[in-house]
Amino acid sequence: MADREVVLRTQDLGYAYRPGQYAIRHLSIELGRGEVLGLLGRNGAGKTTTVRLLTTLLPPTEGTAWILGQDLRTGGRGLRSRLGVVLQAESLDFVSVERNLDLYAFMWGVPREVAKSRAEEMLELFELGHVRRRKPWALSGGERRRFQVARELMHDMEILFLDEPTVGLDALARRRILRYLRERARRGLSIVFTTHILHEADMLCDRIAVLHEGSLLATDTPESLKQRFGGAREVRVEFGDALPPAHVQEFVVGLHERGASVLRPEGAVAPGMDASSFEFRSDKAESLLPWITTWSGSRGHVLERLSISEPTLEGAFLGMIGGGEQDGLDEPETEGGTSTGGRPGNPPPPGTSGGLRRDMGVAK
Amino acid sequence: MTLPPILRLVVRNFVSNFDPISVVVRFGQPAVTIVVLGTMFSSIVPASQTGGQSYTSFLVPGMVAFQMVAGGVVSGNLFWLDRRWSMVEQIFSGPFLRSEYLAGLVLTTLLFSLFGVAVMVGVAVPLIGLPAISLLDLATVLATVGLGGIFFAGLLIALGTRLRSANAYFSIQSFLQLFLIFLSTVYYPVGPSTPPALAAVINVNPLTFAAFAIRHAFAGEVGPAVLVNLGILGALAAVSFVAAAWGFRSMNLGPIQ
Repeated sequence: MADREVVLRTQDLGYAYRPGQYAIRHLSIELGRGEVLGLLGRNGAGKTTTVRLLTTLLPPTEGTAWILGQDLRTGGRGLRSRLGVVLQAESLDFVSVERNLDLYAFMWGVPREVAKSRAEEMLELFELGHVRRRKPWALSGGERRRFQVARELMHDMEILFLDEPTVGLDALARRRILRYLRERARRGLSIVFTTHILHEADMLCDRIAVLHEGSLLATDTPESLKQRFGGAREVRVEFGDALPPAHVQEFVVGLHERGASVLRPEGAVAPGMDASSFEFRSDKAESLLPWITTWSGSRGHVLERLSISEPTLEGAFLGMIGGGEQDGLDEPETEGGTSTGGRPGNPPPPGTSGGLRRDMGVAK
Repeated sequence: MTLPPILRLVVRNFVSNFDPISVVVRFGQPAVTIVVLGTMFSSIVPASQTGGQSYTSFLVPGMVAFQMVAGGVVSGNLFWLDRRWSMVEQIFSGPFLRSEYLAGLVLTTLLFSLFGVAVMVGVAVPLIGLPAISLLDLATVLATVGLGGIFFAGLLIALGTRLRSANAYFSIQSFLQLFLIFLSTVYYPVGPSTPPALAAVINVNPLTFAAFAIRHAFAGEVGPAVLVNLGILGALAAVSFVAAAWGFRSMNLGPIQ
């Protein structure tokens, strides 16, 4: 990233609704050209306020921001003409979808011929061709959202701000849009993207800024955030044969001594119980693997399968905002197999295991 | 060639606001009023009550003056809907200045009002003939409707920047329209038998100033009194425009109902 061109930089940017009441404070972030920056946070964390500040809809009450070489406070029209914004709120004109695209392009001064071909491209890309003559309010929620993103892409821009653009979209449409945005980013468009769907952020963003209660908690790549804040990971161990009760006891005690919490067999290991598979959770899961391998070898047990859950962005996010309590609701959130902990008992669907679990190999 | 931002906004205002039914109603209603009310009342209101002219001849300048309200309502409502549907935010996040958006609304008002004037005159000509007016008289008519339109549009826009409920906005807008129309000299003159309290209210109504100026212009009698009326309308338009501009500066762009 040595020669990375920074197109947006904020320094201690803040906005107070009234003296002492901050929606966002001490926000210092950077965005490179062609980079996708995700803004993550709970409701009310300050994501939308940040977007509104950076698009000049709100005047900052403190701090500085430079966007495309211009001061946010004085950039005005010249700055805004280089930005694109998809607001969280629905915004529409009372004409057909097709006319809306055309009209929006006209407002932005896009030449007529360019607008015409771009409108066709957007209608196709966002699957709006069949509703092109309908008024926006006659569209479904997902179609309206797609329309709004499509409309914004009618004009040229250098930075695109997307405030929860995929709300209400089905999985396929979401994937399509994210893929398109990824492609646009590859061609140099810088994107600021807010979402609640962490799997999306993981998929799309080069870097993620986590906001919590108006403050920036961390900014890093999704992988680094997962590694830094991913928290405990789950490990599943399967032996080729059932361990005799004494070995079960010894194995479980060994795990406990190394700081792991055993999930299965559940509860206290009863005397006389045998078992062939174990699941446990540990902050230092990978460091336990050599011990498991050595232990099983020394006891003459074949290690059939050893898998470790990948750290997830959701796990990292929950870890950061202090919401990491285990509540048994850690199910995959979306079609892609995002999981808050990748419970070993729930393997992801075929072809979607992406980063959910990592098989550590089998010591047969 | 790219049009200047204000004109792009005006075109957008017309395109997004063009609904055949509402346009027909907007201009058709006053036109029908001229035809029906003018014809019916001409037979029962003696000319002595209307300055020696037929009731239709009296009514037409009033309905022309009314176009300032009609144009103002167009922009006021357009602004409200833009706010309601977040288009104000969307436009403000684009290559436009807030002042340009406001100017675009004002220009939209003027164009709607002037189109309304043309429709009213067009409807009236078969009934009362073409008024023999000079260029000065015509300019007076256009200036009156323009200033009046700015006044009413500014008033509604200023209101729209403050209110956060559609019910409140449309209720107040309807009340203001009724107030301006019925407590003015658009439909009837103020005579010796008019109750003084009512006459006092009617005489400070901006629409009364507008109707006065246009009636005199139609009669080819533009003089100092008309200019005074125009001056008052101009001052009111300036005040309401400043109020709208101030409302824009301090407007909260958050969601509204």
